[in-house]
Amino acid sequence: MSPQGVRATQAWLHSSWQVQVPFAWLEACVEWLQQEGGGAPLPQHQLNQQVLDQWLLTDLRDLAHPVLPEGLSRAQKSELSGSFGVQLDSLLDISQAAYGQLQRWRGTDCTNEAVSAITQATQRPWEAKPTRMLLLQLTDGVQSLEAMEYQPIPALSTTLKPGVKLQLQGQITCRLGVLLLKPGNVKVLGGEVEELGERHSQGKVLCRALGLPEEEPQGPA
Amino acid sequence: GFSVTGKKKRTDSPGDMIRRTQIKRVLCVAEKNDAAKGIAEIMSNGRARRSEGLSVYNKLYEYEYNLFGQNVTVCMTSVSGHLLALEFKAQFQKWHSCNPVLLFDAEVEKYCPENFVQIKRTLEREVRQCQVLVIWTDCDREGENIGFEVIDVCKAVKPGVQVFRARFSEITPNSIRRACDTLTEPDGNVSDAVDVRQELDLRIGASFTRFQTLRLQKIFPASLANQLISYGSCQFPTLGFVVERFKSIQAFIPETFYKIRVLHEVEEESVEFSWKRNRLFNHTACLVIYQICMEDPIATVTSVTSKPKSKWRPLPLDTVEMEKLVSRKLRIGAKETMKIAEKLYTQGLISYPRTETNLFPKDLALGPLVEHQTPSPSWGAFARGVMEQPGGPNPRQGTKTDQAHPPIHPIKYTNTLQGNEQRVYEFIVRHFLACVSQDAVGQETVVEVEMANERFSANGLMIIRRNYLDVYPYDRWSAKVIPVYEQGSQFQPSAIEMLDGQTSPPQLLTEADLISLMEKHGIGTDATHADHIGVSIGTDATHADHIETIKSRMYVGLTADQRFLPGELGMGLVEGYNSMGYEMSKPDLRAELEADLKLVSEGRKDKQSVLRHHIHKYKAVFIESVKKAKRLDEALSNYLGAAQEFSESEQQDM
Ligand SMILES: [Mg+2]
Repeated sequence: MSPQGVRATQAWLHSSWQVQVPFAWLEACVEWLQQEGGGAPLPQHQLNQQVLDQWLLTDLRDLAHPVLPEGLSRAQKSELSGSFGVQLDSLLDISQAAYGQLQRWRGTDCTNEAVSAITQATQRPWEAKPTRMLLLQLTDGVQSLEAMEYQPIPALSTTLKPGVKLQLQGQITCRLGVLLLKPGNVKVLGGEVEELGERHSQGKVLCRALGLPEEEPQGPA
Repeated sequence: GFSVTGKKKRTDSPGDMIRRTQIKRVLCVAEKNDAAKGIAEIMSNGRARRSEGLSVYNKLYEYEYNLFGQNVTVCMTSVSGHLLALEFKAQFQKWHSCNPVLLFDAEVEKYCPENFVQIKRTLEREVRQCQVLVIWTDCDREGENIGFEVIDVCKAVKPGVQVFRARFSEITPNSIRRACDTLTEPDGNVSDAVDVRQELDLRIGASFTRFQTLRLQKIFPASLANQLISYGSCQFPTLGFVVERFKSIQAFIPETFYKIRVLHEVEEESVEFSWKRNRLFNHTACLVIYQICMEDPIATVTSVTSKPKSKWRPLPLDTVEMEKLVSRKLRIGAKETMKIAEKLYTQGLISYPRTETNLFPKDLALGPLVEHQTPSPSWGAFARGVMEQPGGPNPRQGTKTDQAHPPIHPIKYTNTLQGNEQRVYEFIVRHFLACVSQDAVGQETVVEVEMANERFSANGLMIIRRNYLDVYPYDRWSAKVIPVYEQGSQFQPSAIEMLDGQTSPPQLLTEADLISLMEKHGIGTDATHADHIGVSIGTDATHADHIETIKSRMYVGLTADQRFLPGELGMGLVEGYNSMGYEMSKPDLRAELEADLKLVSEGRKDKQSVLRHHIHKYKAVFIESVKKAKRLDEALSNYLGAAQEFSESEQQDM
């Protein structure tokens, strides 16, 4: 593949996906893809797609190619604007106690705990369903920081796989090193990082939050 | 009065058939002497002739009465609960007589215990002179079964005696009169269900109790040498709940949470606005939002809604609800409550206290019942108010009915009771009056504000009419004053605070919680929770026997605030059985058994097949438990110290 082809892919990644990668990685990736494909040159559009797929499955730390403004995580208060491809390592719902989440995740029956003699519960309506707030651990490969679900974002959920890539876009406030996300700020690009799957499974994330040893949990029943 | 309409279709009532026969003398048998006395008094208009029976506690009351369209002489007497008991045949009775597994198949028989023999003799003597036997035992499963014990004893000496069943829910003239006019047949299905339960309890209880007692006494001689380690198929799941709750408290991990609170002082009032997000379990996230609020601390009122809000009057009272409420509100244990309630019933003060019904039948006239309460200096005025409300007494209705008894309600007014009897009676009266009055009415105002895109709300409550609350001090509803806010207006809060707190574990179970759990899992149905808790936990306050208390405390004890705490033996046993993989201390096996008992009592399942099925099931569990008995030792050694070692062959004998 000519350096021109590699550049075309680079340009495509940037313009269509706002994804930036180091040129050396891109070259190596293209070469590998062509070997895998039996040496025959791939049509450009196929090559583009396959490179994107590779990026989605890569741990951005391996690329060491920063895209977020330097020092963002240390700023008291700043505004982020533009488009950034980042990796979601793990996430946790901080609107609920981790202990209850862990019990549900393990499938431990704890319904008896809720039983009391009081027959007509009088829970105040606004306490019945707290708004979910996910706290995300993000990285661009060099800089790690947290982001909170400031307003509900339907695209996010605890079932997202560790290492999934997100696109941050638009105006985002950053305070105390935490990004405040609204629905328009996040697009899920897909992918995952296999090696992170184990380390950041929901069970382990919950155990860590509780200061529990990260035993080998049985997983959801 | 309220009476059952029999479920069986009959073209010719038993009463009609008997009109063609000449009747001279009728033997009536009630469940207890008090009941016999009360019924006799009503039937004889207080002119019954009292005489002694062979048992000093069970008198005879003789009087004339018009029954079956004839003038007959009635002899009313009583038993003292069950007349017969179930036991293994003699060769299996001694603890070391056989391998406990044989107890699942060993022959059993009903016999009359020593202290009931005189009662039995009285019945045998009296029935010989009677042409008819009428069963007046309590109208519940046990009562039906006791009835059949009486029938068996009587028919053994007088096979030709005609048998009837009187059905009633109150000992009042109307109810007794109606029962006499609508005599039915005793219900064999209901009695069968009790037979099945008794036999299963005997076999399961004896086999497991002997097995675990004999084994554990040898393995832990220092702590258990003289300890009876009883097992019951309902007792263990009940113990299981106590252990489960204790363990979930132990396993609980507290977490710190943070919240934002907005205060607004208006003149003298301080209004607290709470955060719509309620709380966050992350300090930084909460701090970020708090900072945003502090940078723009102006609250805008986004909505003010005011709507009527009512607090519902209670539902008609069933047994389980009574046990729970009395336990919570009056701090009287379920077992004592039931004892008191039964006494109030036999005195004709309240309706039958064992009921699963929480809706009043249409034909039960509530007016007179309310009217009776008007002389009371405490709630008489309220009762008069109920009579004057448009449409008169108007019960809030539940959805459950056992087709046998109405909800628990007062029948007569009295001011002669003392102590807990007075308190339980007062509770029943107040609950009844509350239930037939009107919901409390209020107006709730909710004010929502927004500050820096965060939402907060405050609510106020104005109580407009207290209604039922006036007679029901067991419920509280407090008004909360809130100033007038206008939509769109803005204010500067007097304080914006970031607070923290910690999650806390569930609490140890109260007796009322335990009853709720038993109910939820379908064990100890038939309104007998109190008995099971009493038996399994040994909280019976009347247990003067201190040794008994210490024994029972090894399973479960009570904390100072009357909550159940598992003891070492209780913990070890539950853990041991759980580790075998069998859910011995889970309610499922027992719940299935009770569901089948219900089917037997409704005639939808056959007595013998249900017996066989459950004996088979529990026997399999038993055999497996014996095989895995080491697990029991292991679990208990965590609490009772090292287990005594035994050789293989010695193990075989255990
Ligand atoms: Mg009874």
